[in-house]
Parts: sequence; C-alpha cells; structure tokens
Amino acid sequence: MADVATAVVAGEMTVEMVQASQIGMKAMAAAIAVGSTGIASGIAETAIGSAAVGATAENKDVFGLVLLLTVIPETIVIFGLVVALLLLF
Amino acid sequence: MAATLVGPGPYIYVCTRLRVRRAKLLPREEYMRMLNMSLSEITRSIEETEYKREIDELGTAFSGIDLIEIALSWNLAKEYQKILEITPGVLKEFTRAYLRRWDIQNVLTILRGKMQGSKPGKIKEILIPAGELDKTILDRLIAEESPEQVVEALKGQKLYPVLAREVPPALSSGSLSKLENELVKQFYAELILDVESGLKGGKAFMQYIKLDIDITNVKNIFRLRADRMSEDARELVIPGSTLGVEEFQRLISMEGKDEFIDSLKARFGASDLKELIETLRTKESIREIEIDLIRLQLQQMIKMAKLSPFSIHPILAYLESKKYEIFNLRALARGKQVNLPAERIKEYLVI
Repeated sequence: MADVATAVVAGEMTVEMVQASQIGMKAMAAAIAVGSTGIASGIAETAIGSAAVGATAENKDVFGLVLLLTVIPETIVIFGLVVALLLLF
Repeated sequence: MAATLVGPGPYIYVCTRLRVRRAKLLPREEYMRMLNMSLSEITRSIEETEYKREIDELGTAFSGIDLIEIALSWNLAKEYQKILEITPGVLKEFTRAYLRRWDIQNVLTILRGKMQGSKPGKIKEILIPAGELDKTILDRLIAEESPEQVVEALKGQKLYPVLAREVPPALSSGSLSKLENELVKQFYAELILDVESGLKGGKAFMQYIKLDIDITNVKNIFRLRADRMSEDARELVIPGSTLGVEEFQRLISMEGKDEFIDSLKARFGASDLKELIETLRTKESIREIEIDLIRLQLQQMIKMAKLSPFSIHPILAYLESKKYEIFNLRALARGKQVNLPAERIKEYLVI
C-alpha cells in the first residue's frame, strides 16, 4: 500500500493500477446512470400517479389507460439501465 | 393536514378528481332533451345520474316538485361537504372561505321564514347546509321562535356583528335587502383579508374573487338601471375590484344606454368582459343579460382552471358549475310544474 501511495505521489502508475481505476470509474458511471434516471422517473411519476389515482377514483373505466400512462416515465430508467449495462459489459 | 403534505401529489389528485367530476355534469343535449319531458320523466331521468341516492332516499317521503327540490339541495350540500373532505392544505382553507356564502343564504332563508311564520320543517327543506354552519347549528336556528332569537343564537359566529347591527332595522322595515347586501360585502371583505394574509396560492384565489366581484357589480348595475333607481346606490357596490363606489353611482345615473355601455366597456380594458358588454348593448331583457354574465363568469373560471391546473381554480370551476347545474334543474322542474312552454324555460337555463 505504501508502495502505491509513493508511486501515485511520484506520478508513476503501474498498468494494474490504471486498469483498476478504470473499472472503478465505470462502476461509478453505471451507478450514476441508473440512480439519477431512477430518481427522475420517480419525480415524473409523482404527478402522473396522483392524477391517475384521482381520475380512477371518479371513473373506474380509465384504470387500464392511466396505468399505462403512469408507467411511461419508466422508460427513462430503462435508458439509464441500458447505458449502465453498456458501460459495464 | 397541511404540515403532513409532501410534494404536489395531493393537489394534483384533487384537481384531477374535480376536473373529471366537472366533465360528468349534465351536458347541454341532456337539458334540451329534458325540456320536452314531463316533471315525472325529469325525475326519472335525473334518477339515472348522480342524483340517484337522494331521489331513492327521499322518494318515499316526497313527490313531484318537492322531491326534486329537496333531492337537489341535499345533493349539493353533500357534494360540497365531500369536496371539503378531500381538498388538501391551503386549498381547503380557500374552499371553506368560498363556501361561507351559503351561510349567508341559509341565515337569510331562516330569517325570512321566521318573519313569515313558516313551519320549521318547511324552512329546513330549502336550506343547503354547505357552509360553516352545519346541519346541527342550522337545526338549532330553525327551532328558535323569532328572528331576534335566531340572531342571538348566532353569537360568536362571523356573521353575528353584521346581523346584530342590521337585523333590527330590517325587521322594522320588513325588507332584508340591505342586510343581505351588508352580509355579502362583509363576505367579500373577509375573503380578500384571508387572501392577503399571505397564504400560498392566494394570488389565484384573488383572481377569482375579483372576477366574481366584477360580475356581481356589473349585474347589479344592469339590474338597478332596469329598475330606474334614482336613489343613492353607493351602499350597494361591493368594493375590492375594478369599479369604485363613485363610478358605480355615476354608471347607474347615466341617462343614455350607449353612453353607459361605452363607459362600462372603457373600465374593463381588453378583457373578455369588455367584449361581452358590447353584445349587451342591444339586449333589453335583464334576465338574458344576467344569464350572459353568468355564462361568461363560468367560461372565465374554466379558462383560469386550464391556465393554472393545480391551483384553487379547478375546484372553484367545479363548485360553480355544479351550483348552476342544480340551478338549471330547479328552473326546469319549476317551469314544468307551472306548465311554462319549453322556449320560456330555456331562457332561464345557464347552458
């Protein structure tokens, strides 16, 4: 460990260290891709979900339609997931 | 309740519910169909809609016009109370403030009933317990012997100061119009105070209050001009919006109709109300003018509800539309009962 620290401070990095660092960065990017799109989907679904429940409470026939509308923002998180998978594999 | 709200969800939920409810109100075609029906057919027809429960409940005790009248009042009161239950946070405060106007109507109905010596049961039939004074308080008021006792029983309520001041002269003159006017003025003044207390979303509510005051004032001006009122009308103006007290008096006392319409139009800038006032130039019937103004108010409220979809506007648009649905059905039923021709009844409908 002391050797690695000395090497980094001295500006000398071994190939193994660079590879390990790249894997770490990829994992971090994948996490951000999935995490942030997950939060974005959540925010988008708040409004749609509330309106969907409101509309269903008054008219039960629209349940199927509003369910579909509610899950449309899920596509955002799927994009995030796809990007994450592309990054990792 | 307000403290536990998280995010805009509850507002969106309620506004969507009320928008769906407004869409479910009776369409124009339905009224046209009803115009050609008899009273019992109308009863049967509205029994198939949202009024089923009330008609079924009251069907054994009442019949004919009484059944429709009471079922409509019950439905309206129930609907308003239900909306108060589901509205969240600050919207509940605004809805409650809006519904206080029913307190004025109920108290005036009770006072009128007491002045004419009507039976408590008869008065109860026409009350709409939608405001702050609930069924229990109204029942207590109805049970009082005289108008003075009714006023005393209201001690501690918001209406009491005006009632205590205005009821004795009203009783001696036999007319409640000044009292009604004072109560309405106090109602609007309180609404404006509530909004100016800095509640969030108050700006949207203020838009509605101003529109309502404008329409009421314009309606009053047309009415007073039609009555050729020569006395001082300064007391009748509701302050707080476009028209001031002096201006109101000046508009009423103007001689020529064209001159009056031009001055009134000039006060309302580039609004839709201005365009409507121009169309009223040729209309003579005060009823037609009033219905046109009400229709414009409803259109404006629906427009505001579209512009700010998650504010108080969708709620108010529904409450007003529902009020006029009840108003229309009542006019239809009353008209049919006295055998008015369909064309005459149609003139009274806000559609």
